[in-house]
Amino acid sequence: MKVSISGAKEKTLRQMKAEEAAKNVLCALISIFVFCLVWHLGTRNGTKLGELLPGPVETLSYFFRGFAANIGTYTMVGHMIWSFMRVFIGYVIAMLIGIPLGVAMGWSKTANAIFRPIFEVIRPIPPIAWIPLSIVWFGIGEGSKYFIIFLGAFTAMTINAYAGVTSVDEVLVGAARMLGADEKQVFINVVMPSAVPSIFAGLQIALSSSWGVVLAAEMIRSSEGLGWIIISGQNTNNNVQLLAGIIAVGVVGFASVLLMREIERRLCSWTERGR
Amino acid sequence: MDRERQIKNKMITMQHVAKTFVTERKTTRIIDDISLEVKENELVALFGPGQCGKTTLLNVMAGLEKATSGEIIVNGEKVTRPGPDRGFVYQTLALFPWLTVMGNVCFGPRMRGISKKEREERARYYIDLVGLKGFEDSYPVQLSGGMKQRVGIARAYCNEPSVLFMDEPFGHLDAQTRYLMQDELMRIWEKEKRTIVFVTNNIEEAIYLADRVIVLTNCPTQVKKEYIIDLPRPRDYVDPGFLALREDISSVVDKTL
Repeated sequence: MKVSISGAKEKTLRQMKAEEAAKNVLCALISIFVFCLVWHLGTRNGTKLGELLPGPVETLSYFFRGFAANIGTYTMVGHMIWSFMRVFIGYVIAMLIGIPLGVAMGWSKTANAIFRPIFEVIRPIPPIAWIPLSIVWFGIGEGSKYFIIFLGAFTAMTINAYAGVTSVDEVLVGAARMLGADEKQVFINVVMPSAVPSIFAGLQIALSSSWGVVLAAEMIRSSEGLGWIIISGQNTNNNVQLLAGIIAVGVVGFASVLLMREIERRLCSWTERGR
Repeated sequence: MDRERQIKNKMITMQHVAKTFVTERKTTRIIDDISLEVKENELVALFGPGQCGKTTLLNVMAGLEKATSGEIIVNGEKVTRPGPDRGFVYQTLALFPWLTVMGNVCFGPRMRGISKKEREERARYYIDLVGLKGFEDSYPVQLSGGMKQRVGIARAYCNEPSVLFMDEPFGHLDAQTRYLMQDELMRIWEKEKRTIVFVTNNIEEAIYLADRVIVLTNCPTQVKKEYIIDLPRPRDYVDPGFLALREDISSVVDKTL
């Protein structure tokens, strides 16, 4: 009965969205182009800035050449994979510990009373502060990097999982009980789904802090990874390599955020944000 | 059909029910000794001034809140906590936003371990009954206010409870949709007769829908007066009998600020 009306409305809405997307892409291209142009003009031969900062042509061509030729012992992709794997492993360990911990603290007052004090002390310590200790504990290899990435990621995950569980709508819990759900079913079917958006917010915060931490760790001690590209550029006075490393960090960070949003969109299609 | 014949068994018995809320600073008596009965397949409206404790009374009857004293028996069993033998339709809808219409309507039977095939079949019947055929896979956020409450009604019906409690279910709707939903509720109820206890702060809604209107006093609330509404259905808002009742009930209701 209303199908034709809503169908027509949906089509125009879709068209409007497509037009808006096209406009946004155009604006993005123009803004990137203008940025590069200003950068190019500012650093062209003979300017003071040009002596300190390589131009966009030089930097970007180095960046793209890095995909074919080695920088140090790996190509650009190789370095990206090194950094990504470090983040991934530390991040997954943080998920496996942080989310259940936050959920437990949110669901059980006893768990909260036990873990809260320790958590509150650890939470404000910046993960970088742990680097020296983690090297003492885990050596200069991969272990110490996983450890500090874990520390950088797990606090945000825990606190958001906790917030998600405690902010569950009591009316929905009552509704589920009226419909015959027992405690366990309420937890699985009401508390957990309503905590998912908050858990995802925590995962995204944790992802960006993990990238910050992996760079710091690689700059301190490593022979591969994006942090190494940047720091070895500085050590060898190769500003082009340094800048290319920074751009690579931006690209990888952006790609990982896009990936997370896509996962969120699929999992939380029922929220305004998810749609 | 002869209503006298249908309405015979007692479905709800409340005896000397009182409810007091205790906070740090003071205790507030919300319900002050209410005893009432509701018969099988009867539609009873609880009507009273704003903030008089109608919702609290309904929550206590349904088992969502514990009575401070007194006893409530629904279909032969004492009410002590929430349970699937009583359905509840919320003013705030309380739909599960992460579930589709089908998921929401199926929720009760799923919790009670009814097989997927059977519960979906049953849910389809009630989704069809409330007029939402074709919207099974929509999420609540995609529906209008009236449609959302249709989901709420179907969800309560689908669990096949012996009593349905409705807490100002159309309170948040605009006037037009509200009239439509009142007619829809009548249509659904005529087709699937249930015992319904309906809270409203709208006097016309109470007279339009109910077999019996129970007028409540201001807080702490008591039963002020009861009216049997024996006007034929469908009722007419401007029928002289309707207007006379409206006048009569208005005159006994406590006025609040």
